[in-house]
Amino acid sequence: MIDEAELNRWFCREVLPLERALTHYIRRRLPADGDLVDIRQEIYVRVLTAARDGLPNSPQAYVYTVARNHLINLARRARLVSVEYLAELDSAPTFLDLLETDRHLDTRDELRRAMAALEHLPPRCREVVRLRKVEGCTTKEAAARMGVGIDTIEKQLTNGMRAIADFMLGGSGKVRRPARNLKAPASRTAESEQ
Amino acid sequence: MSAREIEVAAARWLVRREEPSWSAREEAALKDWMDAAMAHKAAFWRLEHAWRQADRIAALGLGSSDTWQGAAPADDVEGNVVPFPVERRSWMRTASDWLRRRPASIAAALALVFLTTWFLVNQAERSRPADPEVAATASADPPANAAVVATQVGRRKIVSLSDGSRIELNTATRIRTSMNGPVRQVWLDQGEAYFDVQHIDGREFVVHAGPQTITVLGTKFSVLRDGDTVRVSVVQGRVRVDEPGRGALRSTIILPGDIIVARERATLVREGQPDQVSRDLAWREGMISFRQSTLGEAAAQFNRYNDRKLEIADADAAAIRLGGTFRASDVEAFARLLHDAYGLKFAIEGDRIIISNR
Repeated sequence: MIDEAELNRWFCREVLPLERALTHYIRRRLPADGDLVDIRQEIYVRVLTAARDGLPNSPQAYVYTVARNHLINLARRARLVSVEYLAELDSAPTFLDLLETDRHLDTRDELRRAMAALEHLPPRCREVVRLRKVEGCTTKEAAARMGVGIDTIEKQLTNGMRAIADFMLGGSGKVRRPARNLKAPASRTAESEQ
Repeated sequence: MSAREIEVAAARWLVRREEPSWSAREEAALKDWMDAAMAHKAAFWRLEHAWRQADRIAALGLGSSDTWQGAAPADDVEGNVVPFPVERRSWMRTASDWLRRRPASIAAALALVFLTTWFLVNQAERSRPADPEVAATASADPPANAAVVATQVGRRKIVSLSDGSRIELNTATRIRTSMNGPVRQVWLDQGEAYFDVQHIDGREFVVHAGPQTITVLGTKFSVLRDGDTVRVSVVQGRVRVDEPGRGALRSTIILPGDIIVARERATLVREGQPDQVSRDLAWREGMISFRQSTLGEAAAQFNRYNDRKLEIADADAAAIRLGGTFRASDVEAFARLLHDAYGLKFAIEGDRIIISNR
């Protein structure tokens, strides 16, 4: 059994850099009522659960395999399996191609990405993040500074945190609010657009 | 719960964990939440990773005022990335604003900025025996009946404490322990030790290394004393390093993979260095590991573990950069390797091995 700290490190170092390629891969093969974030998280869960027993030798190949199998299962459940769909799933080159261009970014690139992520935040969100990161303000202090409630600060921070993660790991970094009401399948597809 | 809802929950945990009011009970609740589902771990680790990357901007004092005011959204992650904002002046202004608000980290920012290796202390300086300052609450001089454990040069020792914690002592190390009070305390008088601390609700575990105070609850970390400098590397859990004499009022919290180097009131934090932390702990397996160290630095490390000391005769030779993992006790093999790899000559004279260029 791999210990938790090691699993965490492995996940951050080997799996998260694949998120951009993985997201593209999933989005193009999204089943009708599929939600991109749900599917991606499910793939991470499966990868981590297996890795806990032993880290795979090739993280990329492993993540790809898990992703592909999971999408096939979802398609089967939705009775969407068709020859064309399966062929799409099997176009491995797409996934691995993206990986080549996306190779482990060096420090400068990561910093550049982090800065770009901040620049993409909505102004108030960005200010709350700045208070936290640069000035080290607690939630209470930030609330006092901006004249809002603690809940608001917390919400801005959590939104900012998630947007930064989405952007840096390779998406659009738009601030998204969780869906409160489960919508009908058709419109859920639209919501899962990043 | 949908993936998004789990993400929001994870983000909330992360935000709260940064608050100074974060308690042991909340830590336990977080652990329960994480253990409840792998999805929780995935979401949490993912956000934590990205949030920490953003930390680096603050830590480096970078992020030109443009970043914080929101430049034109030109950045396209696909590949046409905007040039690195090398606007020195606005960066310096932002950095100095930031520095003014964080006096304890001035040395940290400066050291990072100017990329000095100031924290690699002159090896000739011998570690002074511990003289723990009388600080806030529990820190005091060790009681007269404190247990003393020490190792000789080149030796290692494992100590099991009454609370279930374990301490591994590296070469030439001396510690004193006092486990009876409400606070479990260890004084690292000299050398280096790895701590595997058992979590006990309500009983902190404090390591005094000179004037530095390191506080944990349940954690795995190492502490090295090197002259005036104290280095703390975290393997697991959270570690709080207090500014001397200020207790918890002025402290830094570091996480797994982080390293803090502290000297008097200045602290330098290096985040997200799990590989370096592993290298720092190679001694637990009897090895020393270098990455881009100079031969001079490498020799100094070897000399901690061996009575037979390496001497580098030429400044040129001492400046050679090398990396690798070596058996700490086999200094002769290292000398032979230097000969094979770099053509350096070595001569054994009694208890000295002299390395030279010609």
